Amino acid sequence: MIWLWIMNVILVVAAILLVGLLRGVLGAAKSITPTINAIGGVGAAISKDLDAVVVLLTTQNYISQIVGSLANYGGSLDAALPDA
Amino acid sequence: MSLAVAVMILLIVLIIAALALFLIATIVQLVKINRGLAVVIGAVGEIVAKTAPINGVLDAINSTLGLGSNLLEGLFVKKAGDDAGGLVESLFPGEGAKFLQRVGRRGPVVNTGEVYTRGVGILVAIGRTAPIGAAHVRAPQPATTVAPEPEPAPAEPPEPEPEPAPSGRISLRRRPDFPGTAAPEPAPAPPEPPPAPTGRISIRRPDFPGTAAPVQRPAPAPAASAGGGGAEAEEPPASPEGRLSARAKRPWER
Repeated sequence: MIWLWIMNVILVVAAILLVGLLRGVLGAAKSITPTINAIGGVGAAISKDLDAVVVLLTTQNYISQIVGSLANYGGSLDAALPDA
Repeated sequence: MSLAVAVMILLIVLIIAALALFLIATIVQLVKINRGLAVVIGAVGEIVAKTAPINGVLDAINSTLGLGSNLLEGLFVKKAGDDAGGLVESLFPGEGAKFLQRVGRRGPVVNTGEVYTRGVGILVAIGRTAPIGAAHVRAPQPATTVAPEPEPAPAEPPEPEPEPAPSGRISLRRRPDFPGTAAPEPAPAPPEPPPAPTGRISIRRPDFPGTAAPVQRPAPAPAASAGGGGAEAEEPPASPEGRLSARAKRPWER
């Protein structure tokens, strides 16, 4: 009979430990959710900010045209000015 | 059933109930995390898709700008020759040696100062032969009421202006705006109304902020200028009037 009571005490202690551990796991899981939501908001904002990246193609086109004009200008200067 | 057995059964039921409760709550939270990560992964996928062409575009822009830079630097070195480092040094102090190192040239860097005499001579020669240059480079008007005669056009295109120094060396000139270095200059003539275009050649003083009205120099002899030699470039001017100043051409200094 005494062994049954000892087993009951052990079960009580195990239940307390188990509840404590499970509460820790649940608290950690609950803390992840708002962080994920915040990351999602930031990611959406970054994606929206990157919409202007497409303008880089226009910039590339402009730079090519400018360098072409620059080459023509240099050619004219090369013909107009004497060499050193 | 004894009391001890009943208590044991009750404890086991409580433990199983606590396990089920907390595990179910944890599963619910994990499901929420999964949904949030799905949203985040979508946004990250958009970021990756939008940033994918950046490397190629930037590489193309850099290569194009590098070509343009090499073209201009090569043209500058070709036209200025040994004076290239000095010209860069005069405009951006401390950059002349770096420029020479970048273009792979060696030699001393001599600051050409505010006035590049050889460039002035070249531009004067161009201005005498090209109509657009003559429109911008005018001759000084003598202080008389007699209308000057237009200069005859040169028979053939003149050659580049010779250097003021016979060895082609660059002479440094004193800047009048340095404190303690101002040389006594003759009193400038009172400003006159701008004369009517007569086709003669003169060089206007650049509009320095805080400087006096332009002073006109005496007109060169027609015989000397008709030959296309450029009398203005042969004799170095004693004052900044009539010089080309690279500093005055930079708009950010105003």
